[in-house]
Amino acid sequence: MGDTHEGHHANFEARIARGERIEPGDWMPEDYRRQLIRMISQHAHSEIVGMLPEGTWIPNAPNLRRKMILIAKVQDEAGHGQYLYHAAETLGISREEMLDALLEGRAKYSSIFNYPTLTWADVGMIGWLVDGAALKNQLMLAQCSYGPYGRAMTRICAEETFHHRQGKEMVVRYARGTPTQRPMVQDALDRWWWPTLMMFGPHDADSPNTPVLVRWGIKTRTNDELRQEFVNETVPELLACGLSIPDPDLRHDETTGNWNIGPIDWDHFWQVVKGNGPMNRERLAARRQAHEDGRWVREALAGYAQRQ
Amino acid sequence: MKTIHTLSDLDVALAARLLALADDELILAHRASEWTGHAPILEEDIGLANIAQDELGHAGLWYDLYAALAGSDPDRLVFFRDAGGWRNVQLVELPKGDWAFTMLRQYLFDSYEAALLERLAEGRHEGIAGAAGKIRKEELYHARHSSAWVKRLALGTEESRRRSQDALDLLWPYTRQLFIPHEGDERLAAAGYAPRLADVHDIWTAAVRSHLESSGLRVPDSPGVAVRRDQHTPHLTELLTEMQRVARLDPEAIW
Amino acid sequence: MPDTQWPRYEVFKQDAPGQPHRSIGTIHAADPELALLIARDVHVRRPDCASLWVARTDDIFSMTADELAAHPDWAAEDIPGGAVAQTFHVFQKTTQRRGMTFVVHTGDVQARTAREALRLAMQRFPKPEVFVWWVCQAGAVTRSEPEMESSWFAPARNKTYKQQAYYGETGARPEGSGAGDEDDPHPE
Repeated sequence: MGDTHEGHHANFEARIARGERIEPGDWMPEDYRRQLIRMISQHAHSEIVGMLPEGTWIPNAPNLRRKMILIAKVQDEAGHGQYLYHAAETLGISREEMLDALLEGRAKYSSIFNYPTLTWADVGMIGWLVDGAALKNQLMLAQCSYGPYGRAMTRICAEETFHHRQGKEMVVRYARGTPTQRPMVQDALDRWWWPTLMMFGPHDADSPNTPVLVRWGIKTRTNDELRQEFVNETVPELLACGLSIPDPDLRHDETTGNWNIGPIDWDHFWQVVKGNGPMNRERLAARRQAHEDGRWVREALAGYAQRQ
Repeated sequence: MKTIHTLSDLDVALAARLLALADDELILAHRASEWTGHAPILEEDIGLANIAQDELGHAGLWYDLYAALAGSDPDRLVFFRDAGGWRNVQLVELPKGDWAFTMLRQYLFDSYEAALLERLAEGRHEGIAGAAGKIRKEELYHARHSSAWVKRLALGTEESRRRSQDALDLLWPYTRQLFIPHEGDERLAAAGYAPRLADVHDIWTAAVRSHLESSGLRVPDSPGVAVRRDQHTPHLTELLTEMQRVARLDPEAIW
Repeated sequence: MPDTQWPRYEVFKQDAPGQPHRSIGTIHAADPELALLIARDVHVRRPDCASLWVARTDDIFSMTADELAAHPDWAAEDIPGGAVAQTFHVFQKTTQRRGMTFVVHTGDVQARTAREALRLAMQRFPKPEVFVWWVCQAGAVTRSEPEMESSWFAPARNKTYKQQAYYGETGARPEGSGAGDEDDPHPE
């Protein structure tokens, strides 16, 4: 293969077409590197910020088993953030740069984590809906052409499946539970349903990045495809619990088998993405506080290491 | 169903001990879990959460043994008992403080557990020995973790050394309570179920002194106040109010 | 070193005695003892693990097949006169299958430098296709001790609440395809 840029490029695309993984050290187009850094770091930030909505309920978990499970779940999310920061680092960005960007409010992360968790039932609903939606995306990314990202995603999927299942277990139980629990879980569904659907991103017609990501083996399913799959799986299960979906336009199409949702309120979505969601400032502030408070600890570790 | 009143004196002593063991672990686990999402480094969001889970598991083992004697459901005990009914030491109910405070407290308690569990695992009570044996294995890791942190914080920078010393000065008087004999401890020792706490105290003191001093910390002289395990600080009520809030919304609910 | 930027360590895990150590990811740590603790917390929360190794990324000499082709003179170097042979661990990535597999410990060579180690490894451990080679001085590796298995790794087996199979089937539909089934060291 030629030493020219075109030669490298052609070789690179041929490797991807053959289903080969690109590993750290391999030649890659600058745009591939940049897109991946963007995607992976956003994903990592999402995991880190995502610890807070549920983490806040750890002190209130209402029985021993739930307490242990919730600690394990939030811990996993920290772990996932770790795997992803590390994957991004192989592409030439430092963890410090990524963390600075997050804490200074310059970095993007999934806007789903800008909503408040108002009741204990939210914890179950997040596990079922939000983690379920995330899983769809992550299952796709596990096939990604970039080795470190694909492997991180494979690991994350294996662990996330437990998150999804334990959430479902909670919701199913509360939906058939006491007069305290049933309205609590219906209210949680009323608040989390639409934000979850918006996690899949804008409609395909409004998503410019997709074609090149497909050619580079990064994205293999469209936003709308994943969203429809999620809706088709989740709606019947929610209805089977006796819950009602907060969408007056929801219809089952007998011919296609699809559940067709009503219109998504994109104005609201963009408001939240731009940082005006209820919890944006608060969550970042919490993270920033932890970071500041921890400065002397990190300095201590460096100080000790230097003396060894 | 047995009530606490139909038990033999030995069983009453046993039940009291088991409840104390369980409550210590539970409250400490709760304090450790408060750091999840707020730890100074991301790695410790994971590390301390591991420890919290382990300790919840340990509490569960002791509550199960207690339940076998006294017939009470562990979740009921944990989520519906008022502060006056708890039998943990004050050391574990203190607020988490800064990272040095948490690590020093963890270290002091882990060392106590190591010494105590070793003896419990050799004891003649099958249930206790079995639980202690299991718990000991995980505690070996905890001890590695907390002693490594104490060393690094004590020997890191001037600020971390100062914070570590402040934490130790604050915590040391509370450690006395760990070694105050419970009512009925003599019966347990005579039956070979549990060691005398005075013996554990000696082992513990030697081990922690050695590690703390080699980390450049000064072990305080203060002897500490002798308090009973049914005496608590206001911190416990605060902790329980938060911990029991959702459960108490509906005592009939299964969560 | 800057605030959050500690050295990067590669982590290798041996699933069971007799199996080779495999690369499972990386961590940051300020020193080697802490690195082993952190590696355990971040990477070994679920079974199975018999042994854990960590080595600074800086201490690993890595070449992909792509890089080897692009730099035909990669092996050229001046080896200092008094250089003594050391043991080097050799790791290879030999499959393009998706899943968790990256580089796996294939064996050891004696060499004076990393490049020499890789040259020798390519002779000693030829395989039809090697996509990535790593060599690392054995002395640069921090390892868990055998007696740590019962306290560091074995307890994870009892934490079944972290495994998805522990949760009863609650929905009407079967679970979707389990990612990570391929090569997943933690089959659920």
